Amino acid sequence: MKLLVVEDEALLRHHLYTRLGEQGHVVDAVANAEEALYRVDEYHHDLAVIDLGLPGISGLDLIRQLRSRDKTFPILILTARGNWQDKVEGLASGADDYVVKPFQFEELEARLNALLRRSSGFIQSTIEAGPLLLDMNRKQALIDGTSMGLTAYEYRILEYLMRHHQQVVPKERLIEQLYPDDEERDPNVIEVLVGRLRRKLESCNGFKPIETVRGQGYLFTERCR
Amino acid sequence: MIAALRQLKRRWVSSLRLRLMFGYTVIAVLFMLALLPALRGAFLIALEKSVEKRLAADTGALISAARTDDGKLRMPSKLPDEEFDLPDAQLLGFIYDRDGQLVWQSPSTRDMSVSYLPRYDGRGDELLRTTDRQGREFYIYDVEIKLLRGQDAAFSIVTMQPASETQALYDDFMKQLYLWLGCALVLLLGLLWFGLTWGFRSLRGLREELDDVESGARERLSDEHPRELLRLTGSLNRLLDSERQQRERYRHSLDDLAHSLKTPLSVLQGATEVIAAKPENREQVHILQAQIERMSQQIGYQLQRASLRKSGLVRHRVPLAKVVDNLCEALDKVYRDKQVDVQRQFDAWLEIPMERAALLELLGNLLENAYRLCLGQVRISATIADGACHLCVEDDGPGVPVDQRERILRRGERLDAQHPGQGIGTAVVKDIIESYDGELFLEDSELGGAAFHVRI
Repeated sequence: MKLLVVEDEALLRHHLYTRLGEQGHVVDAVANAEEALYRVDEYHHDLAVIDLGLPGISGLDLIRQLRSRDKTFPILILTARGNWQDKVEGLASGADDYVVKPFQFEELEARLNALLRRSSGFIQSTIEAGPLLLDMNRKQALIDGTSMGLTAYEYRILEYLMRHHQQVVPKERLIEQLYPDDEERDPNVIEVLVGRLRRKLESCNGFKPIETVRGQGYLFTERCR
Repeated sequence: MIAALRQLKRRWVSSLRLRLMFGYTVIAVLFMLALLPALRGAFLIALEKSVEKRLAADTGALISAARTDDGKLRMPSKLPDEEFDLPDAQLLGFIYDRDGQLVWQSPSTRDMSVSYLPRYDGRGDELLRTTDRQGREFYIYDVEIKLLRGQDAAFSIVTMQPASETQALYDDFMKQLYLWLGCALVLLLGLLWFGLTWGFRSLRGLREELDDVESGARERLSDEHPRELLRLTGSLNRLLDSERQQRERYRHSLDDLAHSLKTPLSVLQGATEVIAAKPENREQVHILQAQIERMSQQIGYQLQRASLRKSGLVRHRVPLAKVVDNLCEALDKVYRDKQVDVQRQFDAWLEIPMERAALLELLGNLLENAYRLCLGQVRISATIADGACHLCVEDDGPGVPVDQRERILRRGERLDAQHPGQGIGTAVVKDIIESYDGELFLEDSELGGAAFHVRI
């Protein structure tokens, strides 16, 4: 998933960038609201973590501006005060959940995952599509109970396609899921990865849930639940 | 009875208008009482003058009818004024010689026993009052004459009239006087009350503006007040502005402090998680994390306490429904997957005598506990009885065992370690309630879980 982290404290920003990256997310970590607004206009994000105590444009104003720009991704706020005034204002202005500083990364991760699941319409931490079962906690794909042995990148692509089942996902979006914006991107890599993924899925009774929509991207045709 | 009198006295003492009205009433009554003898005296003087005039005229009639013959007084058998001749008439006539010997008396004096002895001493005309043996009062007009129809004569011509005739007039006058003075007093007090009401209109306006300031409907007092009050309203406005700015600065300082203390703690927390990756560091990391948690709790608790101090000037009353709606909207978002059913059992107009931030904090903590621990049902009820507000937040969760109820109200205590939270929620709630002289207690709920009762 591509996440936006807006935190002015460099060390904490770096910590979130590293830890979330380790969890398989592609992280856009910025220090202020202006940069965050630029990033959301340029890239597609699946979730944002926003500190309320930002310098300049406050975290609350940033959330309002994001919502006014029709950005519907879930927003998790980080608050230092932790009082209900801040929480209510943050949630009323468009955030979906909050974490009070200092926090344990596991708590933040649990809340992030819950928001991501919710935003793609899944309450459980597993997604089922025919014989395929995706365990988002273990970052594992199973067919008929047997692990598919996916690489980290293959898993990310499969999870993204399954979360957005019945929707055409552009190739560029999938690239964003794999690489941070400042890394060199090669569109052919996606084709190679999707090809490998298809082969692994087909190896099980010819299961073909991924279709190519010419000139637009990929479509996960199987209904997920 | 004594309590009612005390209440009346308290009401009198507490109302400036009633005190002024009482003072004006006392002054008006004293003024009327002072006016009464003056008016009565003036009336008596006028009455005596009129009596004197009449008796002087009657005396003149006697003098004109009298003549002397060899130094002896001769009076006609029929006098020009008939009243002297009638036995039951109220006008009496006497003539005395120089030695005080009665030489003539009118027929009307028959059966009269007025003991008056004139003194022929050259004092001229004199009006007196005397009483007869039966206790009846009489006006006496005594005239000394030296000449009678051109001849030397020395007589005292005395005419009398009963005072009872004027007494009726006097009584009528006094009755009218009391009536008019009473009416004047009532009218005066009515006008004074009207004047005071009109004069106090500006104070009432000031009071209404202060009510608005206290309720938060307006920030400061207007300048549309009488000149005499402008200094007071100006001072109050400066005080309000100063308090607001101070609170604003204070809030910003606390926000900055929270941010500048807790963000480094978050960094430290993150660093410990990285260090914990090595198994040999786990013990030290555990100690570090415990200390970070402790510091975080202390900072959070102290900052929340500091930010929730009561305002000195503004007395808030917050609509409960609005605060509950705001909080439930927020919590429904956070606990969306749980689909919590929230029952509201209070009147829509019910207001809680607390600052909004304090009520938000109090209910926020209680409701978050309820949302977190419930199976699916939360109930918020509130009533006002005997001037106290009773709030209750219940859930259908596991509840709190009796022996642990005291402990969870203590600072930092948390029974549900598996759930995320700062662990200072109920302690903050308790502090807020104590700052409002209220009380917090825990019971079992009908829903099956805990029931947090708040009385303010």
